[in-house]
Formats: sequence, structure tokens, C-alpha cells
Amino acid sequence: MVNLTIDGKEVKVSKTATIYEAAKEAGIYIPVLCYAKKLLPYGACRVCLVEVEQMKGRLIPSCTTPVTAGMVVTTMSDEIRKVRKTVLEFLLVNHVVDCPVCDKAGECDLQDLSYEYEVVTNRFAGEKFDLPKDEINPLIERNMNRCVLCGKCVRVCDEVVGYGSYSFINRGFETKIATAFDRGLNCEFCGQCVSLCPVGAILPRPFKFKARPWQLKEVNSVCGYCGNGCTVTFGTKDNEVQTIRFNDKTGVNDGNLCIRGRFGATYVNSDQRLTSPLIRKDGELVEASWEEALEKVTEGLRSAGSSAGIISGARLTNEELFLLKNLAKAVGTGNLDHSGGECYKGVTEGLHETLGLQASTATFPQVEKANAILAIRNDFYETHPVFGMVVNQAVKRNNAHLTVIGDKQGKLTRMPHARNLQHKPGLEVNILNAMCRFLLDEKLAKTDGLQGVEELQEALADYAVDAVTAAAGVSADAIKQSAKELVSAENAAILLAYGLPYTAYSRELGLAAANLALLTGIAGRSGSGLYLCGEKSNSQGAIDQQILPAAGALGVSGMLKSASEGKLKALYVTGEDMLVSYPDKGLVEKALDKTPFVVVQDLFLSETASKADVVLPAASFAEKSGTFTNAERRIQRLHPGIKSPGQAKTDFAIFQALLTGFGAAVPATEAAAFMALAATTPGYEMVGLEMIGDQGYVWGGETLVPEIRNLVAVTGGKALEAKYQLVVGSALYHSGTTSVHAKGPMSVVSEPYIEFGREDAAELKIVDGQQVKLKAAGGEISAKAKVDRRLPKGVLFAPYHFGSLKLNRIYNGQASIAVEISK
Amino acid sequence: MFKEFAKGLSITLKHLLPGHSTTVDYPKQKLTMSPRFRGLHRLVPTQTREKCVACYLCPTVCPAKCITVESAENEKGEKYPKVYKIDLLRCIFCGYCVEACPVEAIEMSDKYELANYKREDFIFDKERLLK
Repeated sequence: MVNLTIDGKEVKVSKTATIYEAAKEAGIYIPVLCYAKKLLPYGACRVCLVEVEQMKGRLIPSCTTPVTAGMVVTTMSDEIRKVRKTVLEFLLVNHVVDCPVCDKAGECDLQDLSYEYEVVTNRFAGEKFDLPKDEINPLIERNMNRCVLCGKCVRVCDEVVGYGSYSFINRGFETKIATAFDRGLNCEFCGQCVSLCPVGAILPRPFKFKARPWQLKEVNSVCGYCGNGCTVTFGTKDNEVQTIRFNDKTGVNDGNLCIRGRFGATYVNSDQRLTSPLIRKDGELVEASWEEALEKVTEGLRSAGSSAGIISGARLTNEELFLLKNLAKAVGTGNLDHSGGECYKGVTEGLHETLGLQASTATFPQVEKANAILAIRNDFYETHPVFGMVVNQAVKRNNAHLTVIGDKQGKLTRMPHARNLQHKPGLEVNILNAMCRFLLDEKLAKTDGLQGVEELQEALADYAVDAVTAAAGVSADAIKQSAKELVSAENAAILLAYGLPYTAYSRELGLAAANLALLTGIAGRSGSGLYLCGEKSNSQGAIDQQILPAAGALGVSGMLKSASEGKLKALYVTGEDMLVSYPDKGLVEKALDKTPFVVVQDLFLSETASKADVVLPAASFAEKSGTFTNAERRIQRLHPGIKSPGQAKTDFAIFQALLTGFGAAVPATEAAAFMALAATTPGYEMVGLEMIGDQGYVWGGETLVPEIRNLVAVTGGKALEAKYQLVVGSALYHSGTTSVHAKGPMSVVSEPYIEFGREDAAELKIVDGQQVKLKAAGGEISAKAKVDRRLPKGVLFAPYHFGSLKLNRIYNGQASIAVEISK
Repeated sequence: MFKEFAKGLSITLKHLLPGHSTTVDYPKQKLTMSPRFRGLHRLVPTQTREKCVACYLCPTVCPAKCITVESAENEKGEKYPKVYKIDLLRCIFCGYCVEACPVEAIEMSDKYELANYKREDFIFDKERLLK
């Protein structure tokens, strides 16, 4: 710690702090334009100049100067005022004064400073910039005439996002921020640059001219898309979410968001939303009253009893899931499952067998300080983009060794010094096994207190590094080196993502990753961790609350199979468009057709909902209160920003009404439900709603210590012998099937595509945008081709979000699908 | 003393003569309002469109909250007021909107005959205000 004096005030701060940070900590205000908490100091704008007694004769930029002991700092004097005013005058020489039309007016740092320093005239004259605006891309508007060259956008895109879209081009008066060769912006459209731009140079296009900042009501909530659990701040007006505003004061995401979080929330305003319950009469779905609909549902479920099946999405709040579980009990059925329990088997079964846990063992911020990171499935960046940003910072700021095991390349593999173990589809387990085997053979493994070491060693006989390398197509040195790095790192992390398109080997992957975590000593060690991240916003909550089949009852696949044979009497689907997102469309279709009574509770009249007997309109995440538990076990509170359209009700209210119909006890409020669920959910016992602050509350603490340390041998996969094989997964721009109703993501990726590697495209003479057909065992799919450079030869990729592709006609949960290509 | 009295009375008598009345024969006869008079608002047009850029300063500054603005983008990419409405029943004619306008797009005219039969007729939309 260092002592210094700022404006006569004694301040004690850490020795790595800058003068600006020290002043901020002491509550002393210094104006800044180019400084941002999460970026490295830059010192471009010169607005934060201060006087330091020990450095007399010149003014010192406070945001880049580290504190030293005994420093005496003055943050305001006549001279400083004069200099800051001059700096502003210089900026305003070229800056166009179009505040009346600029959407930033009202929250513009330059505007605020001009007001504060009374810059009403300008002693300097010069030409105003007249640069063309970038209005080509759908989401981010760039008007460089307003730019003050603070470089925040350049820095955030490089330092945090890891994409590097922007750079400074030209020099001197001509300097400007531009993309490579000054072309249009073509990036991942996360909008991080939008959130950091202090002026109106980079603005969110969907919000263009919608409102003034002071008209918006700010409501903090949690993003409803992925398991990362980012805090979002809605700017609401006229009962619509107009924009997502920058907020680095709450949550763990430090204000960082991805395209879905920032631009994907608009589906809540969609005019396609269901506004009243629908009941099938004479084969048609017609509007009905809530009373009638609820009565019909109660009646249907009651008569089905134990032969009813309940399938839930993983975007319901903990409180809603709690009521759903109670509803299953009231109905008298154990057939309860969420998001295809199948795909989360790694967390629910794999971790349970090895570690006795059902959750990640550490928290996201810890990864920033990791020295070695192993990311399994490089899609990780696409399923949990903001966690990807944490990985980026670990690599760039902490020089972490990053190894990526994946069947295609991605942003993570392009990071500096990233080691890419690009393997043939479906062989992740083999590589993890090879790592375990190598650690055991070389006696590097930390085997103290582990059970089943010898059995594992024996079982892994076939997974010698050399044998696996040949089969998987990765280098032996890379496997060995990665294993060594993981075992020797002070802090290390193993990351694995789960979701509906990754159902193959999910249990095996969970086991193999847990084995490796045990052998490297990562599991349960403070600062290190094994991260198994569910795809959706409350996947972890659903796992924690055991929204899983009761003993002897059916899980999702069991229910669907049973239903397709006509054995289920009722099916209750909530928050899931199974016909689009679940593997094996034929089976789902048959199940829905054969079940006499189907209820779907959703926001939209989805493909699944249109097959239902009763459709109940539900509320979106922006309309409800409650809690989500993210993939690092952080419980965070939602706050309603808007009211639901028409008669739509929250899932909580719907379940409440149904439970009342069954004569069961019902918690009156979400808070009461949370108390009840906390009392019965392991890990939540000590958690009260009041403990969930701005940063949420991590149940089980920062590090979750394994209850058992049991190594379980697991058999790897076999590479598919086919010339062309298709892998299914998530695309960064979409999440599940919800985002296809959001304007933002749809304006970037509006239709399904089949991605080809360059080599394959050249060989097949396929060009970007060309219609292609894929023939596989279950049928034929057709979509436009997208040619990129991230796929190896013989591997194609298709995202699973679009119903029109009918991808699940050929995708039945396998790691890869053998296909034949025709044009 | 008498002189002053006569002088004063002469002024009174002068005003009693025909043509010296201060009463105006309204509505046949109307006065010219002073330039500072705050009558009905007027949106100032330019050659192709209204001058207003929908910056929202007038509804923000309006103490009576009688101005509704909704902005949008026209085909040239310019910001324009898709909706501009003043509810004259609420308006207190303070003229803050005119003062706040950064582009001098709104002014107060000398029109003061604003009586109407229906409440809706007191809502002045963009077309009426542009007249």
C-alpha cells in the first residue's frame, strides 16, 4: 500500500493504482474521456491532467501515472482548468456539433465536459470532418465525424473481445478509427464498442432515434439467453425494451455483453407474441379465457396422472421450476425433465459419479488469473461468448497457456499462442483420455486421495498418446504439452460447454473432463476449476433443483419414446420448441401426434405450440422477477422491466393457478417460493433473497470442494468413416430458438446455412450463398452454403436454431452425421 | 393651479372626442400583437421539411408536459419528428419550448383566437402546427 495526498486528503491505495484510480477511490472526481475501468491505461485524451508537486513544471496525465509514496496531487487549479478547457476546444475544432440529432446527447462525455468547462466559444478554427457514415451493417452505426480518438473501441475490441475489428488509420489531422482497409464493419457485432464510446461516434442502430437517454427507465436484470448470466440493464419506454444500456456496476460481466445480450432482447417487444390462451376446437386453435384453458389443463393432467410427462425449458426462473416440480408431484408423475436432460448428462451424471457434484467447481472471474486453460469444444466461445472474453483476458493479460480441443476452429483457436487440438468429430473423449494416460504414465498426476487410479490406468491402456494422435488427427506433442501445462500450472481451468446440439458423449465428456480435473488437481483447488456450463440461462438452476426424472420414471428421451408409442396420456411442454431444437424430429412429431393431450406454454406460437391442444401464453425474462442460477452457481435476481402483452402471464402465475386447481399448497410470491426452494435444495440452504446483491450470490462458495474423488474409466468415441460429415452446434449470433424472434440477431444471421471449409468448397465448386442439399440417413436438408476457413476438410457445420432447415430430421444426437452433398 | 387642472381636463375631453376611443371593436377590428406576444405555436418549415430535428428538448423542458414528440429516420437518413403534438389544453404558453429549441424550429405566433367546441380540436398535430 502507498500513502499519498490528493487535494489535501490523505489516501492509501495499492501500489499498482494510478493517480486516477486513487482519486476515484477517495471520492475525488477527475474528468476522463479515454479511460475505462476494464481497459489498460492509455492516456490519449489529456483531459485528466493533474498537478503533482514532485513533478512541477508540467501537468501529469492521472490515468496513466502510477502512484508513488508521498505524492502530493492537486486535481484542480486555474491552470488545470485552463488546460482542460483548451483540450476540449481542440476536440471541438473538428467535432461536428450535431447534438440535437445525435442519440448520445444527454449522456455524452464530451457534451458534459463542454458544459462543465463552459466551452461556449472556440479560439481555434478548423475544418469540421465530413467523413462518410457507416450505415451498411445492421447493428452498429459509425459516424467518425463525432470521434474524439480516445481509442476505447479499438482497445475493447482487442483487449476484451479479442476480435480486433478496429484500428487507427492515417496520421496527424487525418487520423481516424477504421476497420481493415477502411471497409464496412463485419465483426461479431457484440456492441462492446457501442457501450464504451464516450461520444456519439459508435451507436446502436436498432435504437437509432428511438428516445433520449433521460426518457428511459433503467432496470437491472439478468440476460435470458445463455448460462453466463450477464447483468443487463434495460432502457425501457412505452412498455418496450428500447435498448440495453451499459452497466459495469452490477453482475460479473463488467458491462461486457455479446450480440445476443445487447441486441437480442427485442423479441420481448415482438408483435408475434401470444397474448391470450388458445384451445383446440374442431381442429383449430382458438382464443379462450384463462379460466377455460386452465380448467382444461387441470382436467387433462389429472386424468393422465402418472402417465403425464412434463418437459421444461431451462429458461424458467428457479421459483418457476420449483412450482413446476410441485406441479409434477400434485399431478402424481415422476416423468419430469428439462432441456433434454440428455444433453446435460455430463453435469448431472458424469460429475456426480466422479466428484459427487452437479456444478462447476469455481467461478468465472477466477479464470482471468489462470495460467493454463483447456477449452473443450471450441464452440465454447459461441455458447458462452462473455466467458470467452474472460478467457481472452487470461491469455492476453496473464499469458495463460490456452489449449482448445474442438472439431472446428473458432475465435479461441486464433488467440495468441493458442494450441489447437483440432480433431475428427466425436473424439474429444479420446484426447482427454490420452491426457489422463500421459499424466499417469509419466507419474505427473496428483493421485493423492484419488480412488480408482489403478483401474483407470488399466482401462486407459488403449489410449496411449500415440494411438490417439493417429486416430484423432492431432499432434502427440500438443497433447503431452497441454497435459503438462495443466498439471504444473498454479491456477488452471478446464471448460466444457453443454447444450441441446451437443448431446453426443455428454456423460462421457463430463467423466473424462472430471478425470483430468482430478488427476491435475484442478477440481476443488482454490483458484482453479472445472467448468461445466449449461447452454441456457437457468440450466444450472434446473440441475440444482433436480428437474430430472424421479427414480424409475422417464427422462425426455424416454418420455418421447413412450409418447410415440401412445403410452403417455398427456404431455406438458414449457418454454421449449422441441420440434425445432430437439434431436430426432420424427420421434418428437410422433410423440406429439400420438399423445391425446398436449399443453405448450410459450411466448410464441412455435412449431411445437401449433400442435398442442392448449397453448398458454407466458411472459419473457424481461417481464418477471425471480432468480436464475448461472453456470458458475451464481444466483442472480431478475427484475421486471415491462408488462406482459395482452393476457400473457408469468410461468409462476400459471403454475400457481394450476397448483391451486390441484388443491396443492402454493407460495404466494416469488420470494416465498425462493425461501421454500432454498430450504430443500442442496447448496441453497443458507441462501436468503437479501443475500443476493448486485453481484449475485455464489452458492457453495467461490470454490466447490468435491465430495468424492473417484476416477471413472470412460470409453472414447470412434471417428466416422465418411467422406463428408456434418456437425451440429450453436452459432454465436443465436441462442436456442428464441433468438430467431429477435431483430438484432436476425439482421446478422437471418436464415439457416451449411458451412463449408474452403478446401471442400473449392473441391465441390461451391460458392458462398449457393443452395446446397445434404442427404443423410434420416432425409435431406437444403440451405445456402457459407464458406469459411474454420472447418477442416470433410467436415461441414450447421446451426440448430432454425426450424426451416429441419436439421433434426437427420440429427439424432450423434456426434457427426455422414452426408452426401449435391447442388 | 387652475392651469394644471384645465390641462388635465383637456386631455380627458380630447379622449371624449370621436376617433379617440381606446376600445377596440372586436372582432371587426383587431389589434396588432406585440412581437413578444406568446400565442399559438408554429413549427417552422424549411423548403422540403420541417426544421425540427426531434431532439426532444421541448418536451423535456415543457413544465406542463403538453408536447409529444416521436422521432424517426426519413429516407435521407435524417432525424425528423414522425409525431409532433401539442395539447393546448395543457399548454401554459410559457414559451420555454421556443427558448430550448436549438434549431429555432418552433416559434410562438400572434394567433390568439384558439376557442373550439371539442376537446380533440385542441390537440395540434404536426400538420396544423406547420400551417
